[in-house]
Amino acid sequence: MLDYILIQAANGLVIGVMFALIATGLTIIFSILKIVNFAHGEIYMMGGYFGYYVITLLGVPPFPAVLVAMAITFLFSIGLERGLLTPLYSPRIERKADYGILITFGLSVFLRNIAIILFGPFPLRPPSFIEGSLAVFGGLMISYDRLVAAGGGLLLLVALIWFLNRTVWGQALNAVSQSRESASIVGINSERMYMLAFGVGGALAGGAGALIAPIYSLSPSMGLVPDTQAFVIVILGGLGSVSGTIIAALLLGISQNLFIALLPDPSRGPSYANAFGLFIMMLVLLFRPTGIFGRHAVAMD
Amino acid sequence: MRAPDLALVAVLALLAAAFPFLVNAYWLHVMIIAMMFAIMAASWSLLAGHAGQFSFGHMGFVSVGGYTAGLLAHFLGLPLPLGMLAGVLAAALVGCIIGWTCLRMSGPYLAIFTMAFSEVLRITIVTEVEVTGGAGGMSVPQLFHARTDLPYYYLILALLVVSVGGMMLVVASRWGLFFRAIRENEQAAAAAGVKVTRFRILAFAIASSLAGLAGTFYAPYIGILTPDIGSQDQMGLVVAMAIVGGMESLPGAVAGAISVEFLIQALRSYGQWRLVLFGALLLFTMRFARNGLLAPAWLRLRSLAAPRAAALAKEAVR
Repeated sequence: MLDYILIQAANGLVIGVMFALIATGLTIIFSILKIVNFAHGEIYMMGGYFGYYVITLLGVPPFPAVLVAMAITFLFSIGLERGLLTPLYSPRIERKADYGILITFGLSVFLRNIAIILFGPFPLRPPSFIEGSLAVFGGLMISYDRLVAAGGGLLLLVALIWFLNRTVWGQALNAVSQSRESASIVGINSERMYMLAFGVGGALAGGAGALIAPIYSLSPSMGLVPDTQAFVIVILGGLGSVSGTIIAALLLGISQNLFIALLPDPSRGPSYANAFGLFIMMLVLLFRPTGIFGRHAVAMD
Repeated sequence: MRAPDLALVAVLALLAAAFPFLVNAYWLHVMIIAMMFAIMAASWSLLAGHAGQFSFGHMGFVSVGGYTAGLLAHFLGLPLPLGMLAGVLAAALVGCIIGWTCLRMSGPYLAIFTMAFSEVLRITIVTEVEVTGGAGGMSVPQLFHARTDLPYYYLILALLVVSVGGMMLVVASRWGLFFRAIRENEQAAAAAGVKVTRFRILAFAIASSLAGLAGTFYAPYIGILTPDIGSQDQMGLVVAMAIVGGMESLPGAVAGAISVEFLIQALRSYGQWRLVLFGALLLFTMRFARNGLLAPAWLRLRSLAAPRAAALAKEAVR
């Protein structure tokens, strides 16, 4: 039993890293554009399919394919931002938050349904990064794919933190998130930052999709659950906080898997796992809307 | 009401009464479904468009209504009309609770919270197979033992007229003014003496009880109730209907629901593409015509016919 719990905790850690990638993307988009992207899970799904086709059609090996998928998702996200979100920056539009909610919600419905046509309704599975499993905890196995996903995800998170803190672009993003007006006074083109933020956020989700594809197969509806999970994490971690988001993602990934392991009726575990996260989020929204780390509430435009 | 409006209402009433005798059984069925969606879309547009509360949990209330009626009939053998009444009351009660719990939330927080509510509900329904029948659905007894859908048609027509008419009265009354005041600026509304708490919860209760009403109709009409009715794809369909019609126009939402549903059915030979179509329609409308397609087109039409009346109407809409 203890072994089982340990392996569930390890699985939870892997999932937690994936959640962290998706949710940091959501948080970056929120802190720069001041909108909640309801289509984020669908961009994650698209990233997974981009990875799949880069491997199967172009013959790129699995590891570089993740980077190619991220690059494609980056451009794809920028295309979406240019096409759909520019009204957010125009002073003529009232109630921008409402526009952001509805347009990204519509986008999620659109992408989910067009994916069924483009990619087919049946699950697709790209080849493994590395075949086989690593034996740990005496007799219990963790597949190499999970290790690759966790390691790759951690690398991406480290790269992201470096990018946000150590590069000019990252600091410009930070400046825009703090104050759009002040940022434009010091010469930052905020419209370009919106593009960058939406692109980077999308690329992170796309990377997660490409990394997780060999573990769980790809399907057009795969974005639904991570989308809601990412909201859970982002609110737990405090909207707009990258480090809070990463910690919350790992916490949620582990506690959710332990919840499955400890539920008295295991057959219900997988389906209630998602409800568990959502329920936690509803409680947090009710009692600690600033997140568990008590970050000051980010004002909504 | 002005004379041309009265004439229009009379023509629409005649058309609605005669509709079942003008089309075959299939399109009658489509019309019944469309009118059921019209109740959902119009009540969502009251909540989101007028009261400014973007709930993505609307289909959760449809499930609450439908499953309450279905479960009461199934386990207690309660007569269906009583069960339907209970379903509406249950949806209103849950709506009050949800409206009360998210009093402090607005914008995306409220959208996420309500989406979570409806997903938790849907997951619970899917998982508790012994009670609800799970994803396979539960069978619900028929309401009428007729060989045609005629009684259902007139029932849903009556429900639609009463609920949309009632909501239009609310919107035109002081209550509607309070809803819009809260939408525009909660603090300012409170300062002006609007009881914000009461009216926010009221908006939720009205909208969710009507969503529940649509659900209690849906269950016995289709005969089988599945958790799919509470899914986010269905929510997207309802949002698309309300937005195509024009966010703040209740008749627009009804027209939007009927036209989108007929469009989807007319294009059914295209299979999956029609679902893409309504997503694209939603995106297009939001991106290029935020006031909707149908309500502004209607105003334009009227301004061509009678410039002065339309100018007045435009003032009234503002």
